[in-house]
Amino acid sequence: MSMATMPRLWTMALALGLLADASAKTWRHAAPSGLNALIARAQPGDTIRIAGTVAEGTITLNKRLVVLGEANAVVDGGGRGDVIIVSADSVTVKGLTVRGARHGNLEDMAGIKVSDCRGARLIGNTLDRCFFAIYLNNAHGALLEGNHVNGDEADPDRMANGIHLWKCDGITIRGNRVHHHRDGIYLEFVTDSRIEGNHTWKNQRYGLHFMFSHRDAYERNRFEDNGAGVAVMFSKEITMLRNEFRKNLGGSAYGLLLKEINDARIERNIFADNTVGILVDGCNRAQVQDNEFRGNGWAVKLFANSTATVFERNLFAGNTFDMTTNGDLVLSELRGNYWDRYNGYDLDRDGRGDVPHRPLSIFALVAERMPFAMVLSRSLMVNLLDQSERIVPTLTPAALEDKQPLMKPPHGSDRH
Amino acid sequence: MWKVCKYTLIDLARNRFALGYALLLLVITVGLFMLEPDNTKALITLTQVVLALTPLLALVFTIIWYFNQYEFTVLLAVQPLPRAAITRAQYIAVSTALVLSFLLGVGLPLMAWAPGPVAFTLLLTGSALTLVFCALGLWIAVRQRDRARAVGIGLATWVTMMLLYDTLLLWIMFTFSDRPIEPLIIPLAALNPIDLSRILIMLRIDLAALLGYTGAVYQQFFGSGGGMLASAAALLLWALVPAALATRAFARKDL
Repeated sequence: MSMATMPRLWTMALALGLLADASAKTWRHAAPSGLNALIARAQPGDTIRIAGTVAEGTITLNKRLVVLGEANAVVDGGGRGDVIIVSADSVTVKGLTVRGARHGNLEDMAGIKVSDCRGARLIGNTLDRCFFAIYLNNAHGALLEGNHVNGDEADPDRMANGIHLWKCDGITIRGNRVHHHRDGIYLEFVTDSRIEGNHTWKNQRYGLHFMFSHRDAYERNRFEDNGAGVAVMFSKEITMLRNEFRKNLGGSAYGLLLKEINDARIERNIFADNTVGILVDGCNRAQVQDNEFRGNGWAVKLFANSTATVFERNLFAGNTFDMTTNGDLVLSELRGNYWDRYNGYDLDRDGRGDVPHRPLSIFALVAERMPFAMVLSRSLMVNLLDQSERIVPTLTPAALEDKQPLMKPPHGSDRH
Repeated sequence: MWKVCKYTLIDLARNRFALGYALLLLVITVGLFMLEPDNTKALITLTQVVLALTPLLALVFTIIWYFNQYEFTVLLAVQPLPRAAITRAQYIAVSTALVLSFLLGVGLPLMAWAPGPVAFTLLLTGSALTLVFCALGLWIAVRQRDRARAVGIGLATWVTMMLLYDTLLLWIMFTFSDRPIEPLIIPLAALNPIDLSRILIMLRIDLAALLGYTGAVYQQFFGSGGGMLASAAALLLWALVPAALATRAFARKDL
C-alpha cells in the first residue's frame, strides 16, 4: 500500500465511524447497580451517561462504548477487584470518579484496567486511592488525558503505581496529575509513546519510570518532591525535553537517573534543588544540551562507564558540586557550558573563556569517599584546596574539562 | 558600670574605626550584590567574607582599642569601681559597637537584596561571631603587656580557627576514615565557633547536598529545635567564657 492512499483510507474510516454513530443510542444510568446489564444490552458505538454512584463491583466494558460521567458520577469497586476493565477497541471513559480497587500483592488490581485492545481514551477521570490507578496491559494507541490520580496521602506505602503501562505502544499521556502513589507513571516495554504536560509529585518512588522502553518522548512535565525523582533505565532513544525536575531530596534521590541508556536527548530541562540533578550511569551517546542546573547538591554525577555523552550549553549555577565522577577514565565531553564557578577570562571576546574549566573539585572526591567530610564544605581550607587542584590537577581526572566555557549564561536560560 | 559602658560607647561612636568597619562591610556587600546578578551566589561569597572578616576584625580591633585606651582604663581602675565592672562595661561597649556596625554594613543591604532564612542566619551567626571574637580579643589583650605581641597572638588565634582547625579535622578524617568516626566529626567541628557558624549557614544553602548521605545526621543534630538550641548555647559559651576569663585576668592584673 502506498503512502498516498493512507489519508483516503483514514477519511473512509472516519466517515464509517460517523455513520455508525448516527444510529447509536445514548443511555443514562443513575442507579447503584445494573450497569453491567446495561452494557450487555448496549450496541457498539452507544453512549452511556452515568449519574450518581455505581457500586456493583467490577464493570467490564467489552464493546466499543463511550462512558460519560455526569458531575457527581462515581464508580466504586467496593474493594473486590478491578473497578473498570476495558477490553474492547476504541472505548472512551470520561469524567468518572473511580475508587475502591482491591489492594493486594498477588494480583495487580486497578481503578481502570485496559487490556489487549486499541484506541482506548481515558479523559478527565479522577482515580481516588486505587491500588493501581490506570493500568494498561498490551494496549495500543491509547490516550490518557487530564486525569487526576491521587493515592492515599495517609498511607502511601500501600499504593502501587499511578499510571502503569506494560507492553504498550503509541500511547499518549497528557496533562495528568499523579501524586502519593508508588511510581507516578511507570512504563515497561512501552514504545513510540509521548508523555507530555503531566505533573507528578510526592510519589514514594519515581515520578516517572521507564524500563526497557524505546523511542519515547516526554516533554514539559513537572516532577517534584518524589521519593527518588525520574528514572530511565535500559531504554533506547528516549527524548526528554523541557521538563522540570525539582526538590527530589534524599539519600538516593535524583532529579533524573539514567541507567544503561542509549541515544537519549536531554534538552532544555530544568533541574533545581535536587540532591543529585542527573546521575549518568552507563549511558552511550546521550546529548545533554541547554539544560539548567540550579541549587542541586550534585548537579551531575557522571559515571566513568558512560561513553560519548556530550554536555553542551548547559547552565550550572548555585550547585554545591557541579560534577563528580567515579574513575579516571573520561569518555564523555563537556563543550561550551556556563559554570558559575568559572573564573577564567576571555581576552579575544568571543564569549568563550580562554582557559579550560575543570568542574570536578577535589573536595567532591573527598566527600564521595567520606560523606561526613561535608562538615567542611565551603570552608576556607577546602576552597584553597579546590583552587590549587583546579590549577594543577593531580587527583582529579584532568580530561574532564570544558575547553571553552561560556562567559555568560546561554541564551534562552530564562525560557520558562 | 553602665555609666562606664555609656561613655565608652560614646567614645567608640566618635572613633572612626567602628564607622569605617560598617562602611567597609557595606561596600563589600553592596558591591557583591551589584556585581553578581545571581543572589544565591552573592550570598555564598558574602558568607565566606563574613566568616573570615568578622572574627579577624573583631579580634584585631578589640586588641588595638584596648591598648589605645589603656591609660583611661588605668584611670578608671583608680576610681572606687570594682574592676570586674570596668572589663564588663568595656566588653559590652566594644561588642555592641561592632555588632551594630556589622548589622548596619551587612544587614541593611541584605534586607534590600536577599531577605530570607539564609540572610537571617548569616546576620545571626555574624553577630555571634563578633561577640565571641571580641571576648577572645579582650582576653588576649588583658593578658599581654605588649600591643604587638597581643595582635600577633590574635592573628595566630584567627589562623588557627579559620584554617588550621579544619586542616586538623581533615587530617583526622583521612587518618581514621576506616573507623566509625562519623558521630565524632560533627561535634568536633561544632567545637570551633567559625565552623559551627559555617555549618549553620550551610544547612540553609547546601541542604540538597547535605540530605545526600549524612543529611539525616545533620538534620538531627542542627535542624531540630534541640540542635539549634545547643548550637546557640555553644556560641554563647564561646562568648561568655573568654569574657569571664578576661574579667578575672583584669581583676588580678598588676596595672
